[in-house]
This record gives sequence, structure tokens and C-alpha cells, in this order.
Amino acid sequence: MSLILTYIATSDGKIKRSSLEVLSHCREEAKKNGHTLAAVVLDTDPDSFTGTLEKYGASAIYTVKNPIFKNHLNTPVIEALAAVIDKVKPAVVAFASTEAVKDVMGALATRFDAPAVPDVASFKVTGDGLDALRPVMASKILAKTSGKGDMVFVSVRSGSYDATESPVSAELTSVPFDFDEGGLKNILKEVIKASGDKVDLNEARVVVAAGRGVKDDEGKKLVEELAALFNGAIGASRSVVETGMFDPSTQIGQTGKVVSPELYFAIGISGAIQHVAGMVNSKVIVAINKDEDAPIFQYSTYGLVGDLYKILPPLIEKLREARANA
Amino acid sequence: MKFCVCIKQVPDVSAPIQVKDGTLTQDTDRMVLDAYSASAVEQALVMAEKHGGEVQVVLVGPEKARETIRKAIAMGAESGVHILLDDISGLDSGAYATILAAWFSNQEYDAILTGKQSQDTDAGLTGGMLAAKLGLPYSANAVGLEYDPASSAMIVRRQGDTGQEVIEVKTPCLVTCSNDMNDPRIPGLKGIMMSKKKQVDVVSLADLGLSRDSIGGGTSVSGYENLPAREPGKKLEGDAEDLASQLVNLLDNEAKVI
Repeated sequence: MSLILTYIATSDGKIKRSSLEVLSHCREEAKKNGHTLAAVVLDTDPDSFTGTLEKYGASAIYTVKNPIFKNHLNTPVIEALAAVIDKVKPAVVAFASTEAVKDVMGALATRFDAPAVPDVASFKVTGDGLDALRPVMASKILAKTSGKGDMVFVSVRSGSYDATESPVSAELTSVPFDFDEGGLKNILKEVIKASGDKVDLNEARVVVAAGRGVKDDEGKKLVEELAALFNGAIGASRSVVETGMFDPSTQIGQTGKVVSPELYFAIGISGAIQHVAGMVNSKVIVAINKDEDAPIFQYSTYGLVGDLYKILPPLIEKLREARANA
Repeated sequence: MKFCVCIKQVPDVSAPIQVKDGTLTQDTDRMVLDAYSASAVEQALVMAEKHGGEVQVVLVGPEKARETIRKAIAMGAESGVHILLDDISGLDSGAYATILAAWFSNQEYDAILTGKQSQDTDAGLTGGMLAAKLGLPYSANAVGLEYDPASSAMIVRRQGDTGQEVIEVKTPCLVTCSNDMNDPRIPGLKGIMMSKKKQVDVVSLADLGLSRDSIGGGTSVSGYENLPAREPGKKLEGDAEDLASQLVNLLDNEAKVI
């Protein structure tokens, strides 16, 4: 029986939502194709996640425990995953498309001489690989892309699938991993955390993104207040990042991060294609902009034409009331 | 120091695109230097200017991609390598990595730079695949990049999922570059004139011991489709108070996201 192996990314002692989305989808694909659903987790304490993975339907769980997984570094992740893949010989290796995964998938696929289909919006497992839809050309169109082979790698954009539970009890395997840090040719020196990084953009259910219409600290404060209401993440367009007001880690777009939260607020964002490429798959899009012809209104679920400095204060107040009553 | 930069010629993604019967057409056939490649060239030039050395650009593509090599040379690169391939349709990241690895396998360099992805496919695999094929340490998605002579390493600041990671990568190595790291220079008249005199070596697949059917990475694109249409949105009107009330009501009762 073949196996679909899902890579489980963790952060601060929690499994990333995007990994659970991919795991849930792989479970359905495994069912359809008569495959086993397996999960692999690399962490300083991977055993703490096995209960959750069983809840989401992983019937085989491979854990690799090592202190080096505290922070991202590509070489140990590649080596550990290669060891697990070598052992289990999966038909499909699936990832959530995170910044860390973008740093390992190409090299890992090459190691196994396997096709890789990155950053897909959806995929189906077939008899000889997989079929996927990938956004291309600044996310303006979808390319029907297939990967064929005995083993195929795929990474999935966050928000493409719902994370759904379907409990099973799993067979647990701890894979030994002796890693010689002394032989590393790449060394992590430092992780620079910015103030805007409190909530991971790719994980947040609500994203409040600022554009050039947010001109000063007062506007930034309103954006932060709105985000805090939902425990949401703060994003920004490239042009407002360039002013220095928002940290580069917050940049959303073809160049920055690609997000698809349940609720996206575009605050003073005009909607240049490069930005839209990074948020167009959000479920509900609220746009606030002074210019009624701003392209962002072509994508918004709810478009509010007006001054963000006038609209946000009453909006924050009314949302606070509504959430208190919910 | 020798910095080799893999560059790509891509269609202008800002031009309107149509999908008809599964195929893709654009109003213009304008081809440009990929923006991520341009940032990689710029950063290589900055490092070569600071530490001495030269920048060489390497491109896989048809005859008409020569203009893109010339553009990178006009920015300041010393020489170019054109791996000539008339028909690039169907080439995936694995294929580009195979071709480039065949070229670099008997070259000397301190660092290979590539874009973190290219503007047309946004795949972002070629750099990591090339590094794996060449057995080089690498780092993807650099938003800051310097060379440190003391440790003979590239100091990469890469954008991670939360925060930025600073990584020392020993040379020879490979780094994939974001366009956030710099603003690529616009070639001046002098650079454009000079670029015509600089060497561009033309290499064929046969020269690299490869054939067109031996290089596929195992993926293929069978067609294109439009994005699923978004339901037309609602435009709300009124004064600020009124707009806020309407929106809260819709988010609560219609979208049910509160």
C-alpha cells in the first residue's frame, strides 16, 4: 500500500494551521486512492503533537527529535526529511507552502530525483503522481500542472483547504537523527523578530493590511487596534513598507507573503496586481479606500468608499461591541 | 571574487493576459529581465564593487533572450553565458536546474545567485535544485546579502515565516534573492555602449552533453484556466458612522465572520 506523507510544521509549541489544512486534504486523497496517511514532524519535542495529528487522521506518525529544530535552518530539515522519506518511500510528499518550506523543497526533490509542484491552490492524487492548479503570471491565471513519478512533492498555499478532524489511532515511529552540527556549511547566526511578527501572517484567520492611505502613526495605530480586536495579523503593501512605517516581514504580495485568511481588511490599499496576487484568495475581503475607482474594489466583498481615518474609529467601536455580544 | 548570476527572460506579467481554450495569450510579446534576477545582478555588482572581482550572468533561453543578457551586462556585469535553447516551452524548474548544473559543474565561482522565483511561474525551485545538484550549501529568499571576507562566507538575511534569519553560508555557495533587497540600477548610455563589446559565450545543450528529451523535471503544464470568478462585491455608501454600521451588520449576519 502506498503512502502520502505530510510534513507538519510547528511554531511555538503549536502545529501550524496551514499544515493541518494540508493534512486534512491528504487524508481525503489517501481515502480515495487507498493510500495510508502519514505525518512527519521535526521538533525539539515532536511527541507533544502526536495526539493532535491522530485527531486529524494521520494513521502513521514519524517523529524526529533534535534541538536543532528550534529555529529554521535548511540543511538539518533536508537531512531529517530525507531520512524519513528514504525509510517510508511515499508516493506523495505534501507540505504547506511556508517560507521555510520554500527553503527546502527544491533541494529535497532533487535528492530523490522526484518532480516537485510548488505553491498550488489545489491538487488531486492520481495513479501516477498528481494533478494540481497553480496560480501563475502574478496569480492572474491558473496553470494545470501535473507531476508524474513514483514519488512527487507538492506544496499547498495556506487557506486552500479547511482543517477538519477525523480521529484515528496512529502507529508512532521515532526516527533517529544524529546530526553533526560541526560539519555545517551554513550556520544560523540570529533571528530578527519584528514587532509586527506577533501573529504569523500565514496562520492568521484575520489579516488587517495597510496601504499608502495609512500615512502616519495615527493611521498605523488604528490598523493595529483593528487587528488586535480579532487577534489578527498586520500586513502591508510594498509601497507602505518602503516608507519604513511597517516592517518588511509584513509585506503581502507576489514578492512578500501570500495569505488567504477568512477575513482580509485592505486599508488604504489601491490594489496593484502585485499586491492582489498575495491576497486575492482571502474568503471575505473588506476594502476601505477614498478613491472609488481604486482597483481593490474589483476584488472586495465589501467596499467602503471613504476616509479610513473617519471610518476606522466608529468601525472599531462597533466591532468591539458586536464581538462582545457574539 | 567571482559571482555568477542566473538570470531569466520572462513575459511582462503586468500586461493583460487572456485564456482561450486552455491556452494563454498576451496583448504584447514584450519580454523583460525578470525582476528577481535583476535584484540578484544588482547585489552581485554591489559585492564585486566592494570586494573586487567580477560578475558573470548565465541565461538559458532562445536567441531573442540575448537582449536580456545585454541588459544585465549594461548594468555592469563583466561577461555573459547564453545557453541557447530555441524552444523553452515545457521546461520546468528541474530542467533549468539540470542545464545550469551541467554548465556550472566545471566552472569556478565563489557564489551563484538566482532570483528566489521568477515572475512568470513563481515556482521558486530552480535555485535549491541547482544547489542540490552541485552539492552547494544555500539559502533561499534573501532580503539582505553581503560577503564577509573574514569568514569567506555570504551573510544572508532571509525572510522567514516569523522574523528574518541571519545565516552565514560558506562559499562556494548559492543564494536566491528577493527583489526586496535593492533597487536594480538602470543601465546608462555608457553601460549600454560598453555592453556591446563584452563577451557573451554561446553554449548549446550538446556542448553540455545534454539532449532536449533528457532534461525534464517530471512536471508538465497541460493548459490554463481563469481564476474562479469572485462574486461581485457590495459597495457601501454613506457617512463614516453609517458605513461602519452597515459593514458590522454584513460581517456579522451575512459573512458570519465576527
